[in-house]
Amino acid sequence: MIIEIKGLKKAFGDNEVLHGVDLSVKEKEVVVIIGPSGSGKSTLLRCINYLEKPTGGSVTVDGINLDSDANINKVREEVGMVFQRFNLFPHMTVLKNITLAPMKVKHIAQDEAEEMARKLLERVGLKDKIDAYPEQLSGGQQQRVAIARALAMKPKIMLFDEPTSALDPEMVKEVLNVMKALAEGGMTMVVVTHEMGFAREVGDRVLFVDDGMIVEQGTPDDVFNHPKESRTKTFLSQIL
Amino acid sequence: MEFNFDLALRSMPLLLMGAVVTVKITALSVALGIVIGLFVGIARISSIRIIRILAAIYVDFLRGTPLLVQIFLIYFALPVVTGIHMDPFIAAIASCSINSGAYVAEIFRAGIQSIDEGQMEAGRSLGMTWAQTMRYIIVPQAFKRVIPPLGNEFIALLKDSSLVSVIGFEELTRRGQLVIARTYGSLEIWVCVALIYLAMTITISRFVAYLERRNKTVDNRD
Ligand SMILES: Nc1ncnc2c1ncn2[C@@H]1O[C@H](COP(=O)(O)OP(=O)(O)OP(=O)(O)O)[C@@H](O)[C@H]1O
Ligand SMILES: [Mg+2]
Repeated sequence: MIIEIKGLKKAFGDNEVLHGVDLSVKEKEVVVIIGPSGSGKSTLLRCINYLEKPTGGSVTVDGINLDSDANINKVREEVGMVFQRFNLFPHMTVLKNITLAPMKVKHIAQDEAEEMARKLLERVGLKDKIDAYPEQLSGGQQQRVAIARALAMKPKIMLFDEPTSALDPEMVKEVLNVMKALAEGGMTMVVVTHEMGFAREVGDRVLFVDDGMIVEQGTPDDVFNHPKESRTKTFLSQIL
Repeated sequence: MEFNFDLALRSMPLLLMGAVVTVKITALSVALGIVIGLFVGIARISSIRIIRILAAIYVDFLRGTPLLVQIFLIYFALPVVTGIHMDPFIAAIASCSINSGAYVAEIFRAGIQSIDEGQMEAGRSLGMTWAQTMRYIIVPQAFKRVIPPLGNEFIALLKDSSLVSVIGFEELTRRGQLVIARTYGSLEIWVCVALIYLAMTITISRFVAYLERRNKTVDNRD
């Protein structure tokens, strides 16, 4: 198991938003998390790379137990994250956005990092945007750069938090295609999304999260076509 | 009462020499103030409580007491404790930069806090440390945003530097007093001194406006 989460709890002050979540993710598995707004999907995802510090339970990533500062930075090198709002660095070109972390964290030489950035940009179809600044790109292009930036750290796991929900409809596809190719290439992925088409086509497993718990999980077919829990049925009837 | 242009003109070289000293104090204090302010400003939002408190005390004390009193503390009171005579130049630079550092700290703190949280999260999620993210991601963006308030702070400091004349340091204001002591030309000299200050502050504000414009048109570089 590349991700091993046991009894994970997270509270913000008195407000507990994750009530003991258990989740194991296999290598190369694509796990899709769905659930209503405020149910704790983002929080769960962010606990995997410790952007949120759990208040209970344990998170182990690739055999590293997340407890000390050193481990946390080590895990973050191996876990890429893509955000809903891209979070590109606006004061840097696309190229620098991608090369910064490999150079500063892994101490990779500049020409090597730039060579890698070129290859990654080619992979996400943005070779000609290498010298552009983020504000000169469309949302879909920015999100593809963000994916390339995360991939530049050669992560073993990629986390996606609603990567397409800030995009205009016509740009959703280009981002999902990149993600699909990534999954086909064998990347372990945990994806929070409301794109049911993507979940069905690419997901190995779908988790339905509600009120800080995993209510139901199974193959996309199980969860979407034969949901067992009434809460799952209610949620699906609202979004489908 | 007549304005003696001849006296004003003859006094100019001496006054301008004082202005050069004023520029020197201000430039040095501004540079040191930025360094102090950057660290204190970051310390103000540190996750470590004691660092946060110390930084807040620094800022409160320096903003809550008059610069003139701070100059006296450094020039007259400190040597009583240390037993070492204070050089007026050192005392002038020290008091101006320590004072300015407190204002600059608040400017930087606000600038840093205005940067979207997602920037820090993106940096951290890429494996960069907090310090690396601050240095390469947050501070460069904050710097651009704080150029206008920093400019105002420098103008304020340039004017406030006249206070160091009280410890006999021969900057522009002190030069003015000395020239008047010899020539009795109060009117001419103070008008000249005021105009020289005005010329310097206008130059700074024009320069800051230029920097701001340049930043807007080519919004880049780190
Ligand atoms: N930093 C925070 N401080 C306090 N409460 C928070 C914080 N982040 C999240 N919460 C709360 O935790 C709960 C779960 O939030 P979370 O963002 O994980 O939900 P979500 O399932 O991702 O929702 P959405 O679909 O709207 O993104 C919410 O009630 C939210 O208000
Ligand atoms: Mg969310």
